[in-house]
Amino acid sequence: MKGKSKIKLALALGLVFLLIFSAGCGAKKETKAQWPSKDITLIYHSKPGSGGDIFLRSLAKPMEKALGKAVVVDNKPGAGGLNAWKPAAEAKDGHTFLGVSSTIITAPILNKMPVDYKSFDPIAMMFVDPMILFVKADAPWNTIQEFIADAKKNPGKFNIAGGVPGELGFVAGMMLMEKADIKFNVVPFESGGDAVVSVMGSHIHGAIGEYGETASAIEAGKVKVLVGFNPVPGTKIPTVKDAGLDIEIEKFRGVLAPKGTPKEVIDKLIDASKKALEDPEFKKYYENLKLQPVFKPGAEFTKVMEAQDAQIRKYMSNK
Amino acid sequence: MWESFLIGVNTVFQPESLLAIAVGVLWGIIGGMIPGINASIAMALLLPFTWGMEPATAVMLLAGVYCGGEYGGSIPAILIGTPGTTAAACTVIDGYELHKQGRTGEGLYTSLLASCYGGLLSALVLIVVAVPLAAVALSFGPSEYFALAVMGLTLICSLGGKNVFKGILAGIFGIFVATVGFDPFAGVPRFTFGSLSLAEGFEMISVMMGLFAMSELFQQAQEIKSGDEAFVLQSQVKTTFLKWKQIREIFPVATISSIMGIIIGALPGVGATTAAFVAYSENKRWSKDGHTFGKGNIKGVAAPEAANNGATGGAMVPFLALGIPGSNSTAILLGALMIHSVNPGPTLFEKNPEIPYGIFGALIVANIMMFFLGFLAIKLAIKVTNLSKPVLIAVITALVYTGAYAYSADAFDIIVTLAFGVLGFIMKKYGLPHTSTVLGFVLGFIMEVNFRRALIVTQGDYFAALFNSKLSTVILLIALISVTVSIWQNLKKPVDVGNISA
Repeated sequence: MKGKSKIKLALALGLVFLLIFSAGCGAKKETKAQWPSKDITLIYHSKPGSGGDIFLRSLAKPMEKALGKAVVVDNKPGAGGLNAWKPAAEAKDGHTFLGVSSTIITAPILNKMPVDYKSFDPIAMMFVDPMILFVKADAPWNTIQEFIADAKKNPGKFNIAGGVPGELGFVAGMMLMEKADIKFNVVPFESGGDAVVSVMGSHIHGAIGEYGETASAIEAGKVKVLVGFNPVPGTKIPTVKDAGLDIEIEKFRGVLAPKGTPKEVIDKLIDASKKALEDPEFKKYYENLKLQPVFKPGAEFTKVMEAQDAQIRKYMSNK
Repeated sequence: MWESFLIGVNTVFQPESLLAIAVGVLWGIIGGMIPGINASIAMALLLPFTWGMEPATAVMLLAGVYCGGEYGGSIPAILIGTPGTTAAACTVIDGYELHKQGRTGEGLYTSLLASCYGGLLSALVLIVVAVPLAAVALSFGPSEYFALAVMGLTLICSLGGKNVFKGILAGIFGIFVATVGFDPFAGVPRFTFGSLSLAEGFEMISVMMGLFAMSELFQQAQEIKSGDEAFVLQSQVKTTFLKWKQIREIFPVATISSIMGIIIGALPGVGATTAAFVAYSENKRWSKDGHTFGKGNIKGVAAPEAANNGATGGAMVPFLALGIPGSNSTAILLGALMIHSVNPGPTLFEKNPEIPYGIFGALIVANIMMFFLGFLAIKLAIKVTNLSKPVLIAVITALVYTGAYAYSADAFDIIVTLAFGVLGFIMKKYGLPHTSTVLGFVLGFIMEVNFRRALIVTQGDYFAALFNSKLSTVILLIALISVTVSIWQNLKKPVDVGNISA
């Protein structure tokens, strides 16, 4: 008997709490801005486990803390990226956004897509994936200057791996040739990992690729870095700027919103992504991968994308 | 090294590790059995669940899935003529033939035995030679990859049954299909007719599911309708285990094939599927009873299955020794480690020895567990032969479409699967072997990009590109001899080498 009444009491109290709680919630909603009112989706164009996917999943955690709602990563691979970009550009629920890399610039140009970076409003650019030029550990060159001097004497003799035409690795190779006034063969490789293996096996002289993909080979002393196209955090790798070469190329990672997203929402997202950079766990992620944090919100991000678009178009027609 | 090995043993023989491996193997076998879910997809599906685990436990779970998945694909290949994974495509040739003859048990247990043995052998070899084997992988440059692909392709000559040219024709068609999509050298789309769905080319899963599964289903449906079932599924298939004599017979085949699997698996960019095809082709070529391959020879099951499981250990070589994922499956392992801020690569052996040695241990344990879990799976799977055919056809059709969609999350791939199904059905009517087409498709792209790459490196010198090293010259010579012999034999006297297009 006694036990039963206790249960009743507990239930009644629970009900009262529930009422107060739900009333409180309602009040909150009315006074404060309503966004976000449900879970947030971040669409990405590659499969789970890919570099970009891990970036977004790591970003989702601190974003959840800042926004108070779950942030879900939705992988939509296929059709060269269009499968992700089209639904993201057309999303109307106000809670769907798009994680991007430089692919959002290159793929629409190469495949003539109906959607490109201009179909979106910028939230923020967050990182640059540093690109480097590396050669086998026992190669005759130790600095970029030595390589350039040798390449001047032997035009067209050296084979350097780059991404496929139109990709930033390829463009970086073209720019290096132009600015240093040298000539080498840019050998297309679809995967950065395969290029590293080919350099180690002496099948090609060197390669331009992401530092992240090469890190373990560098650490193990199998390859050496001649120059970084971007600063590599936590290393002493000299950059192209240090070598006096005027090359500006940034393989970025960032977040975009569908066109017409309200400014308050964008501001909140900019704020949340800026805060994320301070999150210790997220910091551990990007420091480990040697991503260079470059935070450029709104219009600044658009400027980067516009410049990159022009850059790729230029070196595509140059071929 | 001995100390690190003990760390590995210690890591594996924890209750939670053993549980993780067992769950992984079971999930892998189930995934592998479902057409369209191959080992790497089964791994990707489990990936989010590993993020709360210790890194070593996570990779052991995924390694278990990898082994189980490479084996599981052979079960539907034998029972319904539909490979559950791309690497089991070659198992269909003899496995399904065995089933049609009522020798189902022989096929299934040969596959189980060869898979476990291949996987186990490759794990053991890996412990000793992971680092030296990485040097072998490094000796493969563009020219050598091209030569390897050409050697693999010579199999198409012997797949055409009575007419060698039918096999070649179907193979060339496969190579053509592989050219659809983005041209990585010119940077332009090819044969896409402006369709962005074709921008990345055809998915291997869709092409294979269409050519193997859908065409088979169409044919069976037609046979039921017209009442002239060429082969009635025996309700009384023999499911007895292999005889000792048979085990002795497949033992050398499985040993050679696993070694081929280890080496080919260690090459980044090629993988279990190529390994299975090359192993089948070479065993057919060198076996005394090679002419019975395709007519239900258990060696024809043992070779590809030992090779594709042998490739699991091989695939770990570039991943662990060089820090480079050479396949989709190892790319997922890489993802599982990166989320925990662990960087794979040569330094892993010193910094986190529990991970590489944990993987070695997990591969050994997983292959032993697979033997018992495989028995269980066979006992259950064999029941599908009791189902009525129309029901079976309907269920498999649903599974195939689901698999095709699940792989890419793109509805376009369902259409691709259907289209290749119709195509495969027509090919069957005209005796064109669709296995040749799949082979051409798998190897065509590897062959093309590496040849073009070799030409850039040699600045357009064809001779230098082809005969870059002793390795590429030898491989190409083997290929040349084998093609000449096949064509000459065929022209001299058309011999029936088994109609495997059925």
